[in-house]
Amino acid sequence: MTLALIGVNYKTAPIELRERIAISREDLAETTRALAAEPGVVECMIVSTCNRVELLAAVDSPDADLAGFLHRHFGLDPALLATHIYERRDRDAVRHLFRVAASLDSMVVGEPQILGQVKEAFAVARASGTVAGQLEHLLQSAFAAAKRVRSETEIGSSSVSIASVAVDLARKIFGSLAGRTVFLVGAGKMSELAARHLVQQGAGAILVSNRTQERARRMAEEFQGRVIPQVVPFDQLYEAASGADIVISSTGAPHPIFRPEHGQAFLHRRRNRPMFFIDIAVPRDVDPAMNKLEGIFVYDIDDLQAVASAHMAERSREASDAETLIAGEVERFQQRQRTVNVAPAIIALQRQAEEIRQSELRRVQARLGSLSAEQVAAVEALTRGLVNKFLHPPMQALKQAARENDSARLDALCEAWSVSAAAGSEAEPEASSVAAGSASYRNEEAETERSEGATVSEASVETRQ
Amino acid sequence: MYLLWLRVAAILYAAASVAVFPAVLYGLVRWRKTCVHLGGMALFFHFVSAVEMLVQAHRWMPVGVREVESLLGLAVAGLFFLVWWIYDAISLGIFALPATFFLVFVPALGPDRYTFPSAGVRSSWLVAHIAALLLAYAALCFSLLASVLYLIQERRIKSKPKVGEDTWWAPFEWLPPLDTLERIAHATLEFGFPCMTVGLVIGSVLAQETPLGAAYFLDPKIIAAFVSWAVYVVLLLVRRSAGLRGRKAAYLSGAVFVVVVSVWAANLFSHVHRYGAQ
Repeated sequence: MTLALIGVNYKTAPIELRERIAISREDLAETTRALAAEPGVVECMIVSTCNRVELLAAVDSPDADLAGFLHRHFGLDPALLATHIYERRDRDAVRHLFRVAASLDSMVVGEPQILGQVKEAFAVARASGTVAGQLEHLLQSAFAAAKRVRSETEIGSSSVSIASVAVDLARKIFGSLAGRTVFLVGAGKMSELAARHLVQQGAGAILVSNRTQERARRMAEEFQGRVIPQVVPFDQLYEAASGADIVISSTGAPHPIFRPEHGQAFLHRRRNRPMFFIDIAVPRDVDPAMNKLEGIFVYDIDDLQAVASAHMAERSREASDAETLIAGEVERFQQRQRTVNVAPAIIALQRQAEEIRQSELRRVQARLGSLSAEQVAAVEALTRGLVNKFLHPPMQALKQAARENDSARLDALCEAWSVSAAAGSEAEPEASSVAAGSASYRNEEAETERSEGATVSEASVETRQ
Repeated sequence: MYLLWLRVAAILYAAASVAVFPAVLYGLVRWRKTCVHLGGMALFFHFVSAVEMLVQAHRWMPVGVREVESLLGLAVAGLFFLVWWIYDAISLGIFALPATFFLVFVPALGPDRYTFPSAGVRSSWLVAHIAALLLAYAALCFSLLASVLYLIQERRIKSKPKVGEDTWWAPFEWLPPLDTLERIAHATLEFGFPCMTVGLVIGSVLAQETPLGAAYFLDPKIIAAFVSWAVYVVLLLVRRSAGLRGRKAAYLSGAVFVVVVSVWAANLFSHVHRYGAQ
């Protein structure tokens, strides 16, 4: 079985094309099922976000045409998509998925939403019955890799948007934002977004002031429910500002409306409690000289942008560590896959040994005479123990050869023990012997996990599927 | 036996001092837990050692510089854990834990080699005098530390980065928010003031009972102690009335601290008030 991934993303396709093939949440399950019905597709899932649409499938035939599905399903001209589409196979597909889940392929590297979106796409596919063993294993590994990247690097620790940088700065000044008063001067979209972030972090009151009273009222209503917003007439601007901890200003005034003399008056009235001015307006609403006053902090749009850029640079540095981590995780996944692929041979080996053990027991039964239940159990345990001990070295050798992708050694081992790599998936074996074989294999796997920290216990399940 | 506990405490303080750096500078949760556990155990053994030391010696007051240092270390560590518990500000541990280790290190090497002849060493009032003043010193240390960190944090937030500059931000990322630092500085000052007042009042009453009587108060060390208290009062009043904070508050805290340290150091030169003087 082969892993195949095709898609378009913000790097390869313009928004005009992405929006034509974007799949809404409501249509995702149906589209996933339609993809699963394509010839050659055994398992599949679709990740569709504003920045990417990707089809991931386990296919059993080279004829499976995922790109064709995109053309047909969305009624697009193949020539239109051809230059924007990318395709990955097997190891490259695994690496791509791991990078996407870890937010290394995102427009804003390190943003946390993408992992949730991949998880959601996986949940939809699982609910639609289009994923089973192989993709299940792949996605669980991708989530684990993404978690490692998030916890072992600082990739998502700093803010990179203007609004979240403003919130971070406010927290550096005030600590908790609970109960703080935010004053919106001017009713711009950007200031509304910043205020929303502050309210989410617990800001207690919102004051809104605008030259047009009606617009201020409309904006205040946006915050209704979360806090109690209050509209302040523009001529009472300075009285209201002295009561605010955070002032977000975005008026269209041609000259600064907050100057150092105002700052001094605010500090006097506030008994020197600090104030944070976020000046989003161009031309600026807050005189930069205000920042020189002790207790007043002024950040204009360029300052916020500079902090965001600095954080972005930090993320880029962290991203290189994350890439190394992902490379290791991809290698680990591949090794586990190879170990899983050798499971049929191991089970065949176990079954063969079990048959020999049982036939030998039957052969000597007459000579042993009548044994008590305890004696029978002791003989069983003895023979089973001997068989397991004899089997341990060849099983380890098989797994080692599989991990190292050494097909010549694998063939030699299978030949030496008269088993075929596909033996386990051939004729339906006796239930008891498979159960014994699988259980024993699982024990072996558990032992390997303990010694190597690998998680390959799904191997026997995979084989039976 | 108390020396053994003190040495255990010193080792644990050293380990906590090491653990606090990755915990604060890199925000590593596991190191943070390790630091708190090690520091907590160190504080426990330190306390056991202090009690055992005083019980063994059949006295309730520290004698000599080493014992006083050890108890000051106990006060600093205790205050650090109190601040950590109330304000969740483990970052002060970067200073408090190594400081405590150094305060404990010399006393852990061995006891002072002289005895204190006065019967007053068994007076509970003397114990209260010393304990209250040590707590006041520790509180002042924290107040000054929080004020200095406030200045750094304020400077850091005010000096904005230019596009392309990204290194200035990182080294002090661990600093607590300005508001937290201000509250720590203020709360520790307010905590230290009653301690210092009680310590001085008890000391004055005890001084009256000495053969020197009122003459005791003419000693430069004693005069300096009252001056430091007066400066402390001024600092608190100014902070309260003018809402003083930030740079000026830090400078005033620094001035009080310098005066108090000078008063403590004056023990070495005082004729009437010396550790273990014979």
